[in-house]
Amino acid sequence: MTSLGPFLLGAPWALAALAALPIIWWILRATPPAPRHAELPSLQLLDGIEPQEETPARTPWWVWLIRTLAIAAAILGLSQPVYAPGAQTETVEGTGSLLIVVDNGWPSAPRWPDLVNAATATLDTGNRDAPVHLLLTAPQQFNPDPAERISRADMGKRLTSLRPQAWAPDRSDALRRLNDSGFKPDRIFWASDGLQGKDGQAFAAELSSFAPLTVYAAAPTGPVVISGIRSHARRASTRGIATGYVSAMTIDGSALATAPLEFADGQTEAAAEFTIPAAALARVARFSVTGQQGAGTVWLWDSADRSRRVGLVDAGSTAQPLLSDMHYIRKALEPFATISEGSIENLVAASPDAIILSDIGQILPQDAELLHAWVEEGGALIRFAGPRLAAQGDDLLPVALRRSSRALGGALAWDEPQAMAAFPETSPFAGLPIPGDVRIKQQVLARPGPELASKTWARLADGSPLVTADMRGDGTLILFHTTAGPDWADLAYSGTFSQMLRRSIAAGRGESVGDAEGAYAPFLTLDGYGRLSAAGANAAPLKATDFATTEPSEAHPPGLYRGPAGSRALNAGAGKRPELIANWPISARLLGDAEARSLRLAGPLLTLAAVLLALDLFIALFVAGRLRRFGKGAAMACVVAGGALVSVPTPDAAAQPFQYELLPDGTYRRVDNNPQTIRLPSNGNATQKEIDAALEMRLAYVETPDRSLNARTRAGLFGLSNILRLRTSVEPADPHSVDLEADALELYPLIYLNIPDSMPPLSDTAIAHLNTYLRSGGALVIDTRAGGTIGTQTDVTRLETLLEGLDAPPLQTVGENHVLTRTFYLLDDFPGRYAQRNLWIEQAGDASAPRGDGVSRLIIGDADWASAWAVDEQGRDLYSVDGGAQQREMARRFGVNLVMYVLTGNYKDDQVHIPALLERLGNGDEDQLDESPVRLPTRIPDGGPQ
Amino acid sequence: MTPAADLRSEAESLARQLPGLNFKAEASEAAHIGSAGRRRAGTGEHFWQYRRYAQEDAADRVDWRRSAKGTELFVRETELETARTVLFWSDDAPGFRWKGKGDLRTKAEEAQLLMLAIGIMMSKDGERIGMLGAGRTASFGKKAVARLAEDLERGTHGQFPSPPKSAATIILASDFYAPLAEWQARLAPLAAKCPEGVLLAISAPIEERFPFEGRTKLSRPGGEGDRILGRAETMREAYLRRFAEQRDGLRRLATQMGWRLVTHTVGTSSLEGAARLKAQVETFGAKA
Repeated sequence: MTSLGPFLLGAPWALAALAALPIIWWILRATPPAPRHAELPSLQLLDGIEPQEETPARTPWWVWLIRTLAIAAAILGLSQPVYAPGAQTETVEGTGSLLIVVDNGWPSAPRWPDLVNAATATLDTGNRDAPVHLLLTAPQQFNPDPAERISRADMGKRLTSLRPQAWAPDRSDALRRLNDSGFKPDRIFWASDGLQGKDGQAFAAELSSFAPLTVYAAAPTGPVVISGIRSHARRASTRGIATGYVSAMTIDGSALATAPLEFADGQTEAAAEFTIPAAALARVARFSVTGQQGAGTVWLWDSADRSRRVGLVDAGSTAQPLLSDMHYIRKALEPFATISEGSIENLVAASPDAIILSDIGQILPQDAELLHAWVEEGGALIRFAGPRLAAQGDDLLPVALRRSSRALGGALAWDEPQAMAAFPETSPFAGLPIPGDVRIKQQVLARPGPELASKTWARLADGSPLVTADMRGDGTLILFHTTAGPDWADLAYSGTFSQMLRRSIAAGRGESVGDAEGAYAPFLTLDGYGRLSAAGANAAPLKATDFATTEPSEAHPPGLYRGPAGSRALNAGAGKRPELIANWPISARLLGDAEARSLRLAGPLLTLAAVLLALDLFIALFVAGRLRRFGKGAAMACVVAGGALVSVPTPDAAAQPFQYELLPDGTYRRVDNNPQTIRLPSNGNATQKEIDAALEMRLAYVETPDRSLNARTRAGLFGLSNILRLRTSVEPADPHSVDLEADALELYPLIYLNIPDSMPPLSDTAIAHLNTYLRSGGALVIDTRAGGTIGTQTDVTRLETLLEGLDAPPLQTVGENHVLTRTFYLLDDFPGRYAQRNLWIEQAGDASAPRGDGVSRLIIGDADWASAWAVDEQGRDLYSVDGGAQQREMARRFGVNLVMYVLTGNYKDDQVHIPALLERLGNGDEDQLDESPVRLPTRIPDGGPQ
Repeated sequence: MTPAADLRSEAESLARQLPGLNFKAEASEAAHIGSAGRRRAGTGEHFWQYRRYAQEDAADRVDWRRSAKGTELFVRETELETARTVLFWSDDAPGFRWKGKGDLRTKAEEAQLLMLAIGIMMSKDGERIGMLGAGRTASFGKKAVARLAEDLERGTHGQFPSPPKSAATIILASDFYAPLAEWQARLAPLAAKCPEGVLLAISAPIEERFPFEGRTKLSRPGGEGDRILGRAETMREAYLRRFAEQRDGLRRLATQMGWRLVTHTVGTSSLEGAARLKAQVETFGAKA
């Protein structure tokens, strides 16, 4: 490379072309722009007219200036100039092999582009053919060999492809690798993060002893590291006042709270304080310094650090709060748990980690149900004994209790108050200190059983259980056999009580506090920039005991690890105290920010040339008069291109097939967020029958095992359909028979079920389908055909067995003036073959009715209507009817009313009341005028034919 | 280029859309018996009127059938029927057989279309039609239309034709961009022979608008010279003035000769152009 002031030229001979510039300039000056050609037969008309203004024969000065500049820029660009102010002084140095050392740990992340830029700039200096070598300080499984010769072009690519790692650099390891390789560089360039780390200064000294050393130290600005969750953020530089912000974020990156961070002058530490509501606290998964990249400024929060949410069941106010059990529980919990109080119902709804009940004997049945469900789903229910519990227990207890408490000591007792025995090995309390002075005066006793020993977590000295626990579903029931207050025992006075509560809560969640057992597998890891990603293949599981001592490395990258006791975090910045490297070796040359930068000018210069040429093109077009024609199109193209740039699709959060959901215990679960679809009973391709049913309204009947009955029902519905077509605007197509298990019921407005004499109960599938049908607004008409039996009213006992499981609402008989009696015809009775039978429909005003219009979804009768309606193909009646032609006509009218009722809903109901409403409205005006009282009609007429 | 058959069918359709030609020929000059009624009594085949017998009428002219109905004598008169000769000529200079960008037809084709439409109507009315300078005599009937189309297509090879032997109605189509003096010299012998004539001036839209801008090199089709304009838009006004002057001069020239001028622009409705041409042709009959 030739140097020319602060510029380095890659192809200096290209500048020789500048000599040709005057010639090009002269040619351009002489050539006017080419005219546009056009034919015009009437050109003759212009003969003899001299133009007032003619384009000068020579190019205007600004056009050739633009062209000359474009060519000059192109020539300069082709000479590949590089602006490198730092390179100037280095030309005298050795031109031998160059070793580039790059700190690629997390401290480099905030200023990584500067580091890479500086390293790349070094490539432009010195002998272009000399080999380059690379040494990375953050240890990896496959470290680049410093002895490997890399060409400058390849090195440039490698440097740009490098990413900072999530762990800290290990410079002694790097030095060892350099020594092992046996490579002796002629000069060394170190792109350093500028932090002391473990042995930064020593490393610099070692490097400078190898060869002439040039250092570019890009010390991170602003907060460098979050060193602990109850600790402080630290910065490297002590100078000046700096502020920053720390955000508490959920796992998916939305900030829940932000707190300012203020470093006083001369201070390297600052603390950010958060005030986060308890409910939101559970969602906080990490803290990060806003606007700062790097794994060090991200603090992952694991479940061990998170405070528990505990619900205390409010037992009402007490006269002496200091003596109440709750007071002791609250005090014991306060150091480590978020406490909420309330009724059982509210507490369960908030789904805390644990619920504590103190001496409550009987829980209300519905509360017990709620608690049961909550425990089954993984809640920890902790109860304390007391006089009430001793009197009356319930089933939310780990062990069966005897119906009385046992008093130890006292005036009438032989026993002394008991001390606590050592905790059993299997107990979660194992390892806690036994307070020697604690005495238990009274306790409830468990009934002895074979499992009692395994359920016991703590014992008294005489072996009787003090704390028992049992699993219920995913959750745990824990019972302290004594009171939480000092009434029965001194336990509440000791610090062990608090520890026991804490461990109970954790154990109840299936976790164990301080459990040194088990391995934790990496789950989510941080990259060098502090972004969370799924753990890579290189990440290895970590033993629980090693969390405190492990330095993050490639095998154990910082991130969340999942194991038996929830999740544990390995944080890059834990306990770090970043310091700047203060004393550099005397022989090392330190590059400033400006010197370390190099600017390749070839690209910008060539771009400038291209832009100028494009400008010239537009000018030429303008001069030739073509611009106006292209104007619109070009503007449109520009707008389209701009629009395309703007509307580059951003990755849509919804497009991600899964997301992480934070579970209450602090672990994360992958949740697919595909939309849930409710499948219709019949899926797949629609059959012809379904298509027919969907296209034309028609009645349907249930196919029963009795084939002759099916034919009769079909004939009945056929007859009814005929009547409807003839008399009303309802024009149903031929009825369908439906199979309750296979067909799509929701296509029919009304399904008729004629109960045969012997019929097996409907299958579960059929009942489920019927329930869905009724819930979605269908109407089911059931006819038991038993009306012929004199003296019995509708007997629905058979229906109960037949339709077991059907979601039947409470029923009532149809009263007088029910809308069913007047939807089309005015009816007194609902006769079929049999008259004067009861008709059962859904009770009015049933809140659970899915149809808001008050139309019954279930209509049950026994008048055998289908037989009365039944006609053959020629329209002749098939069956005799008790009351002859008159009753048959009434049966038909009922059929019409029934279909109208189902189809029109409460519309007719409203219509029925219109005369009365009108009457009332009219009354207001005509009170004085009309003396005679308004006579309400005895029967309210309706619009249908009589 | 539009094929000749297309032009012909288009002309037929134009002719159908126009009302029938009312070409009132001046009977006195007419010598030929044709099939077109002249709405006056004369020699012809069709009944015109009964007229009272006058002394000067020959006895054999009495219509006895009519006269037998009453006491007076009647003479049966027939309608005068004559045929005229209409001669067409279309310029065939390269500048006329030229179309601008986006135009449907060349100016010559547009002229042929209009002339064919008139020719079709005339031949239906029994007029003789033909091409001036084609060397064929004018004739009537369907064949005549086909011949006219052929001859117009062939052109006269840049020669301006000499006047016909006998008087005829002349329809000349050109763009008339040559200097007026030149046209006067050409038309004078023709006008001397034929007192009735129509000049059909066809122009292309581009010639009427002069839409050029910027540095433009304009050339005449056929390589008859070109010209570079530095900024064409500055010439527009002068050009449009010249264009209007040329048209005015042409109109004056036509009026001097007793002829008519019809202008038409390619791209505007051919039906309208044909109607205007027809109206001008019809005025010749009314003059008498």
